[in-house]
Amino acid sequence: MHTIPMDIQTKLKTIIVEELNFEDLTPAEIPDDIPLFGDGLGLDSLDAVELVVQIQKYFGVQIKNMEEGRTAFQSVNALAAFIAERLPE
Amino acid sequence: MSPPWGSWAAFMKNDARTRSARRLKRWTSRSIGSRFQHRIFYALIRAGGIHLAYPLLYAVVFYYMTCRPSIRQKTAFYLEKRFPHKNAAERFADSCRISMTLGKVLIERAKAGIRGPETLQLSFPAKGRLFRLLEENRGLILMNAHVGGWQVILPALPSLGRPVKMLIERDAYDVDLHYYEHARRPRPFAAIDPRGFLGGSLEMMGALERGEILCVMGDRVFGSDKNVIHVPFLGKKAVFPFSAFKIASVSGAPVAVFFSHRIGPDRYGIEIPDVIRVPAGLGRSPRAFGPYVHRFVAALDAYTREHPYQFFNFYDMWAES
Repeated sequence: MHTIPMDIQTKLKTIIVEELNFEDLTPAEIPDDIPLFGDGLGLDSLDAVELVVQIQKYFGVQIKNMEEGRTAFQSVNALAAFIAERLPE
Repeated sequence: MSPPWGSWAAFMKNDARTRSARRLKRWTSRSIGSRFQHRIFYALIRAGGIHLAYPLLYAVVFYYMTCRPSIRQKTAFYLEKRFPHKNAAERFADSCRISMTLGKVLIERAKAGIRGPETLQLSFPAKGRLFRLLEENRGLILMNAHVGGWQVILPALPSLGRPVKMLIERDAYDVDLHYYEHARRPRPFAAIDPRGFLGGSLEMMGALERGEILCVMGDRVFGSDKNVIHVPFLGKKAVFPFSAFKIASVSGAPVAVFFSHRIGPDRYGIEIPDVIRVPAGLGRSPRAFGPYVHRFVAALDAYTREHPYQFFNFYDMWAES
């Protein structure tokens, strides 16, 4: 099992706050295990599209389909683990 | 303890939100007729074609226009904006006319299903333009609207030579059939349900990455989609979704405005009034997508001037403003 590098989690939270325009939230205030969509952080479908783009830009990791997205987008932890497993060498 | 006016203000705010949500949810894909009533029409088409079904259509439209004012009201949202100076009698006549045109479109769609789509005459002079857009291999977004024969022209899609995905929401109790459902023909597209995971956004992105065609409706907000912008349409601000333009920005896919109109019995024209390119890196702000939604709405506005009785978006898209 992969350990999740802390810097991936921190970068992800920064992306969420800065790129998705969360003005009232700091990266440190986002819990690692909060659901990203719906009743959790409240992201929506277009936030998901933006996240896909930003993840590819910063980490070089693609989320190619719905099955991958369903696994990855559960929480910051899940997304960080997904990225850690696929980071280019 | 909060002051009483505070809770009243909160109530009023919540009530306003509820009313707004109710207005948006008023639209449903569910037909106003029953399954049995639809079957009568299908039987008439089987027996004698569209000309046997038209007389019954006249009677049905007369009934709904005279005895069901709520149905007439659904056409009024648009007609009041398109023809603001008409009197009540003229508006009644317009409601009948627009309802009749929609009825004929639905009958001809059923005929295409029952007797085969080859019975339709589709004029598609801009097809070459779409082929050139597809050659860019960035996928292609066809942005449709509830105008003309948007359901009748579906048989034209396979001729574009690429898999087609369509963002489509169907009511579980829908009783009217798409043309391909009559004779269990292969569906000319694969459906993406906007009520699915993340509104189907990842499926849409995937399709475009593979160079496929994605069909979306540019004039309808699905469910609880918050990604909307208010743009003047027929003189008053109306609500339009901008999600497709965001996806175009991210994927690089061009957006072809894709309208159709009914020319006569079984005859339809397909037109591409505009091709919209959305640059990358526009971010998340709705305002960034305003210019592109404006271009779509300008094309829709022009369409309603050329074909005033072929606009079938029967919900109050102006109410939210």
